[in-house]
Amino acid sequence: MAGVSPTRGALGVLGFLVGGYGAYLLLSRQDVDQLLSAAIWLAGGVVVHDGLIALAALGLVAIGARYLPSGARAPAAVGFVVLGSITILAIPMLGRFGAKDDNATLLDRSYGLGWLGIVGLVVAAVLVSSLLRSRTSGDAGARDTRPDLEGDPS
Amino acid sequence: MTSLPRPPRSPRPAGSPLPASLPIPSEDDFTSRLRSPAVAARVGLWLGISFGICFLTGLISHYAQNGDQPIPFPASPFWGYRVTQGLHVISGTAAIPLLLVKLWAVYPKLFQSMPWGDVRAMAVTGLERISIAVLVAGGVFMLLTGLLNTAQWYPWSFSFRPTHYAVAWVTIGALVVHIAVKLPIIRDALVGDVEDTTHDRPSAVEPGALSRRGLLRTTWAATGIAVLATAGSTVPFLRNISVLAVRTGDGPQGVPINRSARAAQVTMEEGGAGWTLDVVDGEGVATSWSRADLEQLTQRTETLPIACVEGWSASAEWTGVRLRDLLDAAGVPTGTDLRMVSLQKRYAFGVTELQGNFADADKTLIALKLNGEDLSLDHGYPARLIAPNRPGVLQTKWLTSVEVI
Repeated sequence: MAGVSPTRGALGVLGFLVGGYGAYLLLSRQDVDQLLSAAIWLAGGVVVHDGLIALAALGLVAIGARYLPSGARAPAAVGFVVLGSITILAIPMLGRFGAKDDNATLLDRSYGLGWLGIVGLVVAAVLVSSLLRSRTSGDAGARDTRPDLEGDPS
Repeated sequence: MTSLPRPPRSPRPAGSPLPASLPIPSEDDFTSRLRSPAVAARVGLWLGISFGICFLTGLISHYAQNGDQPIPFPASPFWGYRVTQGLHVISGTAAIPLLLVKLWAVYPKLFQSMPWGDVRAMAVTGLERISIAVLVAGGVFMLLTGLLNTAQWYPWSFSFRPTHYAVAWVTIGALVVHIAVKLPIIRDALVGDVEDTTHDRPSAVEPGALSRRGLLRTTWAATGIAVLATAGSTVPFLRNISVLAVRTGDGPQGVPINRSARAAQVTMEEGGAGWTLDVVDGEGVATSWSRADLEQLTQRTETLPIACVEGWSASAEWTGVRLRDLLDAAGVPTGTDLRMVSLQKRYAFGVTELQGNFADADKTLIALKLNGEDLSLDHGYPARLIAPNRPGVLQTKWLTSVEVI
């Protein structure tokens, strides 16, 4: 590590100290059952992301790349990023898992409707944008290919 | 976004978008030029900023809830905790799309081969990968547990507050190590153009459905939508558009509640004719007030927020007796720390500490009314504490005594 600058070295040491303090806090304040539960959730998050969410994203992108018309791919990719993250974020509200029957002020919206509203807006935007793009890219394509065909560098 | 693993290792049946059996891919199977350090560094910068905001505001919240405060938490500005804790949850929510895109951009690293044979290189790579594993595990854990906590969903057996706090330190530590390791690349990537390919993997050359700029703009848009869809829990003017907010901000007497009287096992009878609010000092009960007695004292009205640790907040008009007036009547000197004792029988925070600077603050009330009406039982009838710049869990409801520590 001879080539490491002092700034990076100091940052690295600081990071180890801060993380080490966290590990001490984590291990010293709870009993074994609680720590086991925390460990499962720590590892589980990585497993669920790397093994499930990332693979699902790969699969959906592959399906999109294969079946979507080219003009729809960019809008669909935008829609996928927005709706994918919003939907993951919305799971606790959509499922109302934390709702309590003695507290009507918690989770007090129609989350299914709200989520559908976002989906509707995003899907509409994707469709409109896809249509516009396929129309303009058809025009632009005709214009763009001409110089190539003619070998005109301008 | 077309970086599906290349399928050379197993035959792919015609028409199937994925290989029939997935081999373990290598880094080179991911060919999208969007999975570039130029993208990862830009998303990572904002992810790092949101983690930083979460960490600092989290430290503030943790300290504010500590009974033991070597430096007293300030009682002003009265809206301070509302802002810091609102920011905590908003920046954590914003980090969810950022983290997903960041992990997508660097996903091929998961399949990076170890430099087998070179012990030194293996040690360096191994250490780096351990720090990344800790960072990803911690980052996902923090956002996931924080999100579930806002919706009061606790499908685990660890204690939320100490675990969320400890893992925050672990995660920030791993983040600082990660920045130290990557600093030269981060610097190059951020200074250079987004289309620059200097640090790209040689195989990451295929154009995606989006340009790099397009992917970044999409990420910022997803982040903005995530914030707009949820921040109405604490930002009043967003209430009508935050369709995924955990609270509308409405409730009995115009204010949401966090713990009902039923959950805390407090009944209306307990706050009835026999109820008194006792001020207790070292020698026993110094003064004892019925609700009628309290109503006879000078009434003050303050506009103060209830700002929950879960990030929601709501402002309201509280009317009651200034706590300092009661303490003066009982002969309690200024600067005295107090213990606020509730009738509540279940859950934590039935007894809370109120530092002297809060007890003496002009805005700190023993509230009897909320928005012009007698407190409802769920809001802490017959009397509750309402103090400025204080986490909601410490705004003790169903008060029965105020004890000098």
